[in-house]
Amino acid sequence: MSDEGQTQTLDRRKFLTVLGVTGGGAVALSGCSTSRVEKLVPYLVQSEDQVPGVPTWYASTCTECAAGCGLHVKTREGRAIKLEGNPEHPVNRGKLCSRGQASLQGLYNPGRIKSPMLRNGDAFTAISWDDAIARLAAEVTKAAGRIGVLSGAGPGTFSDLLADWTAAAGGTAVRWEPIGHEPIRAASRSVFGVDAVPAHDFGAARYIVSFGADFLDGWLSPMEDQRGFATSHGFDGDSARFVAFSPRRDLTGLNADEWHPVAPGSEALVALAMANVIGGSGAMGGALAAHTPESVAARTGVPAATIERVARAFAAAQPSLAVAGGAGNQHRAATELATAVNLLNQVAGNVGRTVLPGAGPALGDGYEGLARLMTAMDGGQIGLLLVHEANPVYALPKAAGFREKLAKVPFKVCTSLYLDETAAACDLLLPNHHPLERWDDARPRAGVTGLMQPVMEPVFQTRATGDVLLQVAQKAGGAFARFTAPTYEAHLREAWRATAADDAAWIAALARGGVYAAGAAPAAPAAPAVSAAPALSAAPATFDGDGEFVFAPYPHPFLSDGRGANRPWLLENPDPVTKLTWHSWIELSTATAKRLDIRSGEIVRLRSPHGEIEGPVYPYPGLRDDVIAAPLGFGHTEYGQFASGRGANPLDLLGAPGTAGFIPYVSTRVRLEKTGRYREPATTEGNPRQLGRGIAEAMPLDAARRGLTVRQAYVEAGHGKHEINTELEMEAIEGWREATVESRKLGDYAVAQPAWGMAIDLSRCTGCSACVTACYAENNIPTVGEEDVLRGREMTWIRIERYWEGGEDAAGHGAGGEHGAAAGHAHPEARFIPMLCQHCENAPCEPVCPVYAAYHTPDGLNGQVYNRCVGTRYCGNNCPYKVRYFNWYKYNERAWPEPLHLQLNPDVTVRARGVMEKCTFCVQRIRGAQHQARIENRPLADGEFTTACAQACPADAIVFGNMRDPDSRVARIRANPRGYHVLEDTNVRPAITYLAKVLHPVEA
Amino acid sequence: MMRRVALLVSAAAVAGIAGLMAFGAPTRAQQAGPAVADSIAVTYLAAADTAALAGPRQPIFFRHDLHAGQFKMACQYCHYSVDVSSEPGIPSLETCMGCHLIVAGSDSGGRAEIRKLREAWTQKQPVEWVRVHFLARHVHFPHQRHIAAMGPNACATCHGDVTRMPQVYRVNNVNNMGWCISCHVERQVTRDCTACHY
Repeated sequence: MSDEGQTQTLDRRKFLTVLGVTGGGAVALSGCSTSRVEKLVPYLVQSEDQVPGVPTWYASTCTECAAGCGLHVKTREGRAIKLEGNPEHPVNRGKLCSRGQASLQGLYNPGRIKSPMLRNGDAFTAISWDDAIARLAAEVTKAAGRIGVLSGAGPGTFSDLLADWTAAAGGTAVRWEPIGHEPIRAASRSVFGVDAVPAHDFGAARYIVSFGADFLDGWLSPMEDQRGFATSHGFDGDSARFVAFSPRRDLTGLNADEWHPVAPGSEALVALAMANVIGGSGAMGGALAAHTPESVAARTGVPAATIERVARAFAAAQPSLAVAGGAGNQHRAATELATAVNLLNQVAGNVGRTVLPGAGPALGDGYEGLARLMTAMDGGQIGLLLVHEANPVYALPKAAGFREKLAKVPFKVCTSLYLDETAAACDLLLPNHHPLERWDDARPRAGVTGLMQPVMEPVFQTRATGDVLLQVAQKAGGAFARFTAPTYEAHLREAWRATAADDAAWIAALARGGVYAAGAAPAAPAAPAVSAAPALSAAPATFDGDGEFVFAPYPHPFLSDGRGANRPWLLENPDPVTKLTWHSWIELSTATAKRLDIRSGEIVRLRSPHGEIEGPVYPYPGLRDDVIAAPLGFGHTEYGQFASGRGANPLDLLGAPGTAGFIPYVSTRVRLEKTGRYREPATTEGNPRQLGRGIAEAMPLDAARRGLTVRQAYVEAGHGKHEINTELEMEAIEGWREATVESRKLGDYAVAQPAWGMAIDLSRCTGCSACVTACYAENNIPTVGEEDVLRGREMTWIRIERYWEGGEDAAGHGAGGEHGAAAGHAHPEARFIPMLCQHCENAPCEPVCPVYAAYHTPDGLNGQVYNRCVGTRYCGNNCPYKVRYFNWYKYNERAWPEPLHLQLNPDVTVRARGVMEKCTFCVQRIRGAQHQARIENRPLADGEFTTACAQACPADAIVFGNMRDPDSRVARIRANPRGYHVLEDTNVRPAITYLAKVLHPVEA
Repeated sequence: MMRRVALLVSAAAVAGIAGLMAFGAPTRAQQAGPAVADSIAVTYLAAADTAALAGPRQPIFFRHDLHAGQFKMACQYCHYSVDVSSEPGIPSLETCMGCHLIVAGSDSGGRAEIRKLREAWTQKQPVEWVRVHFLARHVHFPHQRHIAAMGPNACATCHGDVTRMPQVYRVNNVNNMGWCISCHVERQVTRDCTACHY
């Protein structure tokens, strides 16, 4: 079965024929699919920290964004196979987002540059490293004094070395990230006098207001912020209210208890009006006086009463938290907005409590630095440009002219791992090691220093850029004489002497993944100096052009600024908001789409004064009618087989950033033209509505506080008809119960066994989909590609369903929704629910399997035996949750093009065509833990292991364990009155208990 | 996914195969080409060999009957991870050389084999043993659990008495579920499918 996919040059039948004719060979044949001879190749020298069959874990640091989360890298037989969060790390506390987990697909990406390359006309030729170093040394000497370095690497020993090296070579080094949060930093400078972004304590906040800050999609420190948000907003006796003011509802906005579609560019006025209501003292009070709720209501589109109500509640909750910023809301007045929000936090007394100035992630030089470098490139003052961990050709608007300015540089060197747009325009490619293959460190924030160590041999003939710099320095000599470290590893060790003087301290730091200051949580600075009367410019943002719509591109939650676009996990895992995969889209509000008679999937053209893009329309109910949005990250022209040719790059519509000091993403107006063409959206969404099925339940906050169950809350709300089963059904259920008792007396089933179960708290789940990526990684789930997603053949064992409640969505479903729970909202509210095999006690899939491939295990799992399965698909048809997935094609051969197959988990069978597969509750982890407990001769402890989804969940919404152990965490959570089972009336008795989401009352 | 697969046939069989090459058996030229997944390599044997013994011929005539039998070395001296891992562990060349740096063999046959080992060590070429016992890949067999349950000398239960085997051969068809189940029934331990299949 699972071996079916093995390509064999000599097929089995021919082999047998040969063998028969020759009268039998030395090999006896029998058994299933093992008619071949395998070899056992031993190590020459056994590595001491590797035991075959047992994973070895290494601590490392994630480099996918500036947050600098800690990693635990699982390696088997010398290959990294999974990334998890480091529980000791103060930033992420053991959790990891989809982007961080998909770093593994960056390591094994088929699009990696395999060796140094030199431009040869339009193509590149592979050269040796010696040759490459010699060439670079010669060019560096030639261009001495005119060297430019552009690096996206975060602060750390490497960036220090790079700056030193550039200084020795004579030139300027710029650290730049496309999404650099420059406005937040500028506002922190002007209000708090700290030139760094703040950290935010979402966990302590009792009332949260966001002005477009996408803290659940990405933003500053996604894991930390999401953990805090789940703590304060998740129901545990109480829940903090979350109010969002933004033109578009991103994933963060969908988690808000109320959303106000404020006019783009005018958010600062709302913040100032709120501050005005709360009332500042002294000079600040005077400066705020002009901004009354009444005066801003018309310009912002938010009623004065609403501003006043939110402001009073915000001030009353102690402490509260207001946040602003986020690339999807970065218009020309973004700095003014961030300033206004700082003042709002100041007047509400949040600074130093929930807003910790300067404690946020360390960022680069901002766009200003890059702009200076570009001017120098344009003026011919740069003789050699080294680009490191940056892709400006893609990530800057075309109108900024980076490509043209790059062409004026005589010699361009790129250290990118992948042939991205910038690398393709360079002359010499010196592919860096992946962070999992090299030595490095990172200082993402004060008090936190993360270490990276090579966890495996490099996949390709790459070389760490730190080593390249040192080797070039030693070759070029002269001003470089001070770089004497033989390797970058030695250099790093030397740089760490102050922190880890002796080897014991160094090894301890490596094992912990770095050094974290005591307390580890960002410390509040002593009384930040708030300037008394900062310039309160509240001029709304301006937009280029005279189109009908404001264009608001936003970073895709997984692809971010485009760097995630070459990882199939991130392309196939649907965008949490739209549920679209693999291709870009253009969002119109549902009302606008209706008015213009545009359907989902219809291709439209957007024109701005600077350019045009085309894309299929997704009508989205969470968008203002005068705004069009589109995700960043698609539309690559290079960057490997997965990234290139997928839709449009919305940056093409933007003008040059100008003198703003940041890229104003929301700065153009666009016209919309129909093309009359259509492209079917590759969505994983089924029905956008629950249609009374009670899948993702919710209950009012007040009812939850009083400890009511979901059904009691319904009855109280006047929905009487909620008996789960009729009398007739109850009779049948009784009969079933008796029969079950008998069956429990047989064989293995009679022995005391654990009963594995799960609890999922929907009041904590934000829909971020980190669990989905974790499941793909753990269980060797193939990505099927756009074409097969269109056929509904995605294999996602766990999926996040997003349902609309109330309001009106694209499908034209009317208001009302489920039990009117969301009534009072003009627009639909979202409900997220992770859906996976429920491991039903009375599973409908089991009795219909003709070959007993689906059956119930004694420890309460719904087992699926691949080698028994003959692919009738009866089980899938009979599953009310639709969580069984049929493997239609030879995904085992095509989903992991070399060397991506190296990521596969050897503990999980790689399924071949023709079998049904589904969530196993990570049975390999259960069995692994049981084996370990057995050889240590002790019982299995609660929390000793967990499933991949529960391990990854940044909100800690998923809890797994033995339901039969009354002291286990899962058993305690299952007893929560908010608990319910999905489709309970079918009497399938699921092993997964969901805790209903908690709804804040609708306020006018 | 990428395990290399080799096919071993006796010298006598080679002549028979030669005539059949036309319909599929790979030639030496094909083998020399780029590495194809699971391609089949044919190893030619020398005339004076161990073909008379049961079991596949190994690149080095390693004698379990001497090491485990006559010298009474514990199985776990070489198969070091059998009590902690699902994999028993194939000894690294370093383990072999630990003794054979000194021990050169007592007869000419033994000396010749040890020379092969030392040569492999000098050239940093691992010895590619032919696998005798294997399971289909949808089966997970935790060695450590069986050692925990049955003791450190339980190996013979499945692998036969290798202390009497000059060349290891398969005594029991371990890749047959009936083999596993009969023992599990006898000992009244789990017969749950997902104990092994996942």
